[in-house]
Amino acid sequence: MEKILRLIKTFLLWELLQGLAVTLRHLFAPAITVQYPEEKTPLSPRFRGLHAQMRYDDGEERCIACKLCEAVCPAMAITIESAEREDGSRRTTRYDIDLNKCIYCGFCEEACPVDAIVQTPIFEYHGEKQSDLYYTKPMLLAIGDRYRDDILRCKAADAKYR
Amino acid sequence: MLEIEIDGKKTTVAPGSTVMDAARALGVHIPHFCYHKKLSIAASCRMCLVEVEKAPKPLPACATPVTAGMVVKTHSNAAVTAQKGVMEFLLINHPLDCPICDQGGECHLQDIAVGYGAGESRYREEKRIVPNKDLGPLITTEMTRCIHCSRCVRFTEEVAGYQELGLAHRGEHSEVMPFLGKTVNSEISGNVIDLCPVGALTSKPFRYTVRAWELSRRKSIAPHDGLGSNLIVQVKNHKVMRVLPLENEAINECWLSDRDRFSYEALNSASRATKPQVKKDGQWIETDWQSALELVAGKLKDTVAAHGRDSVAALATPNSTVEELFMLRKLMAGLGVEQVETRLRAADFRLHTAGATWLGQSIAELAQSDAVLVIGSNIRKEQPLLAQRLRQSAKRGMKLSVLNPARYDLLAPLAGELIVRPDQMVEALLTVLKAACEAAGKTAPAHIDLSSIEVCDASRSIAATLTAHSAILLGNLAAHHPRYAELHAAAAALAELSGAKLGVMSEAANTVGAQLIGAETSGNLFASPKKALILLNAEVQFDCHNATEALAAVRAADFVVALNPFADGVKDYADVILPVAPFTETSGTFVNMEGRAQSFNGVVRPLGETRPAWKVLRVLGNVLGFNGFDYESSEAIRDEALAGDIAPRLSNALKAPVAVKAQAASGLVRLGEVPLYQLDALTRRAPALQATADAAEPALRANAATLAGLSLKAGDSACAAQAGGKALLCVREDTTLPDGVIHIAGSHPLTTGLGGLFAPVTVERAG
Amino acid sequence: MPQLLSNEARALIDREVAKYPAEHKRSAVMGALRIAQTEHRWLSEELVAEVADYLQMAPVAVYEVASFYNMYDLKPVGRYKLTVCTNLPCALSGGVTAAEYLKQKLGIGFGETTADGKFTLVEGECMGACGSAPVMLVNNHKMCASMTPDEIDKKLGELE
Repeated sequence: MEKILRLIKTFLLWELLQGLAVTLRHLFAPAITVQYPEEKTPLSPRFRGLHAQMRYDDGEERCIACKLCEAVCPAMAITIESAEREDGSRRTTRYDIDLNKCIYCGFCEEACPVDAIVQTPIFEYHGEKQSDLYYTKPMLLAIGDRYRDDILRCKAADAKYR
Repeated sequence: MLEIEIDGKKTTVAPGSTVMDAARALGVHIPHFCYHKKLSIAASCRMCLVEVEKAPKPLPACATPVTAGMVVKTHSNAAVTAQKGVMEFLLINHPLDCPICDQGGECHLQDIAVGYGAGESRYREEKRIVPNKDLGPLITTEMTRCIHCSRCVRFTEEVAGYQELGLAHRGEHSEVMPFLGKTVNSEISGNVIDLCPVGALTSKPFRYTVRAWELSRRKSIAPHDGLGSNLIVQVKNHKVMRVLPLENEAINECWLSDRDRFSYEALNSASRATKPQVKKDGQWIETDWQSALELVAGKLKDTVAAHGRDSVAALATPNSTVEELFMLRKLMAGLGVEQVETRLRAADFRLHTAGATWLGQSIAELAQSDAVLVIGSNIRKEQPLLAQRLRQSAKRGMKLSVLNPARYDLLAPLAGELIVRPDQMVEALLTVLKAACEAAGKTAPAHIDLSSIEVCDASRSIAATLTAHSAILLGNLAAHHPRYAELHAAAAALAELSGAKLGVMSEAANTVGAQLIGAETSGNLFASPKKALILLNAEVQFDCHNATEALAAVRAADFVVALNPFADGVKDYADVILPVAPFTETSGTFVNMEGRAQSFNGVVRPLGETRPAWKVLRVLGNVLGFNGFDYESSEAIRDEALAGDIAPRLSNALKAPVAVKAQAASGLVRLGEVPLYQLDALTRRAPALQATADAAEPALRANAATLAGLSLKAGDSACAAQAGGKALLCVREDTTLPDGVIHIAGSHPLTTGLGGLFAPVTVERAG
Repeated sequence: MPQLLSNEARALIDREVAKYPAEHKRSAVMGALRIAQTEHRWLSEELVAEVADYLQMAPVAVYEVASFYNMYDLKPVGRYKLTVCTNLPCALSGGVTAAEYLKQKLGIGFGETTADGKFTLVEGECMGACGSAPVMLVNNHKMCASMTPDEIDKKLGELE
């Protein structure tokens, strides 16, 4: 009985018609392709992209060189050197993140007691050389300054879940 | 013995011990802050509360003596509740600044808070704020973090000998502070940093640089005084970041002198030489090792060939390792040169002992002596931790007496004291010897002439303290003395007579090692002019007895090669500088004053093109084509250099008698101490140590009568002159000095123009 | 350094020292500080150091004692130091009123000294004379009981 049924299906190109039905269905379904970079998908405020160093409202850098991010970083992507600044406060003299090594886990942000290191929703950045992805303290601070409003908006949106 | 049960484990302990002692013996950990095994019991932190059966309330384990049949529970509900309660109170006023606190990661409070602290504080009121105190250039304070354990206070009083810190005010207003406006100036003050269980007292040079978890711990040996303290050198990225004590009950206990603790700063100093340098037409040119070594080898060979083997000599500091000195001696032997000397600050080379001079016993045995006579030593500054041991012994009843050229404050009770002019130290020692002879009804050895000696009461009482179980120690001031051989001979005779053990407190980390391998053969090398000189770690203007003479000699030499980690000290007179590794960058061995050979490994890689000195000397031997210069490791050199048992080769006994005869004193005499932080090239370059009170500029010091005789007063400036040299110095009154003594410290840039450390001096008012 | 303690004061301190075994000279520190303060009215840094020197103690150890106890004054005080008890029994019997009256009358608060340097007002703790509350202490040594405003006026009049 089964053999006969299969024979009929074979002759009627049943599987082909089944496949074409899928094609036909998708032909009339609304398109889901995003025309990147003109179009972009929505991002969660929790998205963990490029890092930034933040400042207080008065312009003072937040980072106090406690080195917890360096300690927690599983990829050992963060390098910090610290010293006493002239005013007696504890500050970094070097704060580098090697984005080649970074796995964007967000632990650094979690570890930070003063919310100095944050991950921004920015994911569109590149480097032509490997060393271009070695971000230093001035670069990180510049990102923080430039995207301050965006970053704060994301953090505020996510705050109630934390 | 009392039987006691702690957490269900039964043990027996000696009567008088505390619950804490018993728990430690059992390996039961009771959380604590104020308890420290080397300090008295304060029971002020209350963290060690434990439950004791039949006691109505929890009791502090550190202050509760054990009674028979006691049943202690350290982790019962009641005990833990009490401990948690204490922790909550301790945290009330403790700031939550762990992220910026240098103690973070190695903090007792942090650790114990993990186990006993609540996640959240119930305290909503204002926290107290305590102003910081200035404790000097070594210790930084953050007094708000203080939990009043009083360890630092007890340390200064009980161990350092003088209470420089106090717990002032009361209750919530209590503050640890020095007396108004004072700093902490003890030579072992750095230990309060280790003692502080929180971040209230931290290291100033280390401040905010590295976190505890970033550092690797490597063992090493202190390269300064003759004690040979065991170190933990902490490094990051091949840079020494700080130095901590490695506990060794036989040597440094759990302490470290400031010199050993803070001298590491010099290792990262900008004056380090990183490449071989050659002087060409008065200009320094950096070069490579090959050409530098070929140049040195050629020059040495030529000098020996042209002027004979007596025209070449080698000087090394006794801070050089056994391996370095052995290779230096071997290299010189290859050239046919015999003149190798490490006793650079000595002036008297008449003494010949049966072996290497040493402490005569172990440090631990010394501490158990009934009486100790210290001859010619500012012992607190020369051997800070040995002085600390003797202080503890003196408190327990050991009779400590001194024979010194100044009334140094030992911060310990003294049984006897003889303070005389430096040139009368032999005579003063002879009075003690004569008193001992009279008391014992014996005569002194024939080579000691006691005929003109008059015994005084002080010498009689000192002689009376010396018994069979006592020690006579010779210090640096004796070793640098122009009549050292006589001092040693008289001390040996006194030791023989009284049954006391004679000991020499070696000046530097490897003084004993240098003698064991015979790197002290020639006496004063500058007595005859030299054509070529090899300086190993030595900066002759600072490391020699007579700076003027030494400088003249090295300037007169045609060719001077300096093997030194630093370039700036030798640039004036060297022709070639070979950068060699300091103790952290090479493996090596130091033999300390008790004859203990302690080997260590390099803890970081050599800076730049610096190379360990033993390797440099080895390759120099290869370049010169000598045989037997193919050692693969420093261990191989050590095994050859120190082959066999060391103990039989140590002896303070005289090989040949030295004639001792009283001499009259006249005129003004210099007392040229080597300041605590001018001892060697490293300490001289440690910025924090150089900022301490002990590193103050040398002045011309004399007592009021002597100053009056010179019509000088404190604050004047005066010119001191010694054979061929002069120094302009500020005048200070010093009540500790006897008449006719002018104290001018040696080994300092201000006084390199002067001559012998204990030579006559003339003084006149300047300008 | 000029000697601050008079020979009479030193003789008194010697009497205190004699009360203790020779090796426990420091036990006399409280008595010595009292004698020094009686002579100089307050304990300056130099005075504390001199007492320390006299008793062969570290200055900071003497300072610990001097700062622990209320009755040692480490800051200058007026010619008359008035200590008013405000503990519960006194407070219930008019101690606070007495203190307020003094504040108003002298125009100063607790811990302050009048402009002419005559009076210093201090808030005190129980002096053990609750039965005669309110209690006031003059210059640490003279106790005045039942200090109603009238009595206070009378007492202030006596003090010259």
